[in-house]
Order: sequence, then structure tokens, then C-alpha cells
Amino acid sequence: MLMQIQIEFISSALLSGKEGKEKIDFIMSSVRNGKILVLEDPLSHFEESRLIEATMKKVSSKFSGIEISTLGADTADLKTALIKMLGGKTGGLTVIGPSSLVRHVKRDPMSIRLFAGDGRRR
Amino acid sequence: MMAFEALVNWLMSITNLFQKRKNVRLGLYGAPNAGKTSLANKISMDWLGEPVGKVSQIPHETRTIQKKEHVIVKANGHELDMNLLDMPGISTKVDYREFMKYGLTIEEAHRRSKEATKGIIEAIKWLENVDAALLIMDSTEDPYTQVNLTIIGNLEARKIPVILVANKIDLADAEPEKIKDAYPQYPVVEISALKGRNLDELYETITKNLG
Repeated sequence: MLMQIQIEFISSALLSGKEGKEKIDFIMSSVRNGKILVLEDPLSHFEESRLIEATMKKVSSKFSGIEISTLGADTADLKTALIKMLGGKTGGLTVIGPSSLVRHVKRDPMSIRLFAGDGRRR
Repeated sequence: MMAFEALVNWLMSITNLFQKRKNVRLGLYGAPNAGKTSLANKISMDWLGEPVGKVSQIPHETRTIQKKEHVIVKANGHELDMNLLDMPGISTKVDYREFMKYGLTIEEAHRRSKEATKGIIEAIKWLENVDAALLIMDSTEDPYTQVNLTIIGNLEARKIPVILVANKIDLADAEPEKIKDAYPQYPVVEISALKGRNLDELYETITKNLG
């Protein structure tokens, strides 16, 4: 039987109005519903750690967690900060999916490879 | 004027004295089974003569923060008074079925899973409270994981100094140079916590970079 995988590409505009908990809740809700998200605006390292915390609070026998990978997360340099302050984009993306679906994420500094499939134990 | 200079020098020496006696909260971070507790035990045994915690092949053996206070490390004429904080391994998923592969009953596996998630949350919260960190990586694994990047990113954003520890170099498939290549901007020390290899270099790097 053919397995369906839903991948949702989220524009930066959709998440730009969501801050902190609201943003994390939005991501968690989608991922727990079995979606793989590709965020145009990458999560910061703070947001990644908040997302891992939120994930751990939801781990159960039915939801074992997430796989996540970010390219081009925030850096502390002045150039990046200025570009963001002026509303510009610094490049990058974040991919997040439920670990039951995303079996493995392999990355290097320039690319992300995501291996998805039915990862349930039989 | 001479009296003023003498006073300034005296004040400086007092300040230096306090700085030297500063106690550093050193967090041992990393993914599960990277060897954090093995290293914490080795450091604590070397300088205090007592271990920190239990080591196991089963992931998430450390599920609460284990502390050892006033571990005074001396190397190269430097001295550092540390509170060792052996953190639970950080991961983005905890699957109770993984624990059952190691012979745990379903109840034990669920309990361990619940405790592991709490430990991960605790370890993440402590990223704000440590003064310095050792990020321990398994040299036989891909170092470019999101967990490692997230830990480093959080520490860097808070300007918390970090030393990368390439552990398990005693294993035949260890490739510590991959860690150096992936994170060239950080000091990397290659060790085997299990065999006690290259610990002197680690102590020198700790006292030099974190003291």
C-alpha cells in the first residue's frame, strides 16, 4: 500500500506574526498531526531548544518525538543582526517532522537529506 | 601618588585572588551515550577520588543532573575549582520501545522514557545557568547533528565558553578529525574516558580556557 507523506512549506510571512509559545505550539500541532514542515525562516537556536522542551512534554506511547534540522540558523554577528532588524532575510530553512515518519536526517553545512518512511516497529 | 599606586595594586591582588578562587559550574553536555558520565566519573576520580554516577549501555541512564562540587583541577600551573554537572543526554526523541531492546519490561521502559524526557528538559533549562561547558561527542558518530548544533548555538548566544570533547578514540572506527573539521572555531580534545587516554590534555585545555 502506498504511503502518503504530507510536506508543508511554511512561508516566513505565516510565522512572522507568531512569537515564542504561539510559534512552538503551531509547529508542534502540525508535527503531531503527522506533517513534515519546511520553514522558510529558520528557527533560532533558542527556538530549537524550546521546541525540544515542548516535544519532551508531549512524548507518549503514540508520539516519540521529532527530527529537526536547520540550515543557516541565527548567528551573533552584527551583519546578520542588522539584516534582520531591517526586515531582510539571511537565508536558511528548518525541516521538522515526527520521528515516526522522519527516520533520519543527514546534514552537512550546505544541505539537508531527510529519509522519510513508515518507521513504526512491526 | 606612590601610596595610591600601592593601594591600587593591593586591590588588584585581592581581586585576582577572588578570581582565582572562583567556582565554575561546568556542564557536561551531549547526546545520550556519548560518554558524559564516563568522563564525569574519570574527572571526579582523578581529583576527588570518588565517582559521579552509574554508567550503562542503555541510553538515558543519566536522567537527572548529577553534581560533584569543588572538583579542583590543576594543570600547567593553573588551578580551577569546578562544580561538575553531569547532564542527562539531550535528544529530540525518546521511544520507550528502544529500551525494551535492552531487556526492560514495558512498564520499566515507559518509566524510563518519562524520566528521560524530564531529564532532557532539565538539561536544556540549565544551558542558561552553567558558566562553561564540555560538549562530549562520540568520535564514531556523525558530529554534525542538530542536537550538537543546538547546544553549541545556545551556549554561543549566551557567550558561555565551550570545549568539544571527541570521546571514544580507543574504538577502531573513531574519526575525531571529523569533529575538528565540523567545528574548527572551537577547541577540540581527543580522549577516551573509558581508557583514561589524553585526560592530561583535557585538564590543560580546561584550566587554560575556562579558568
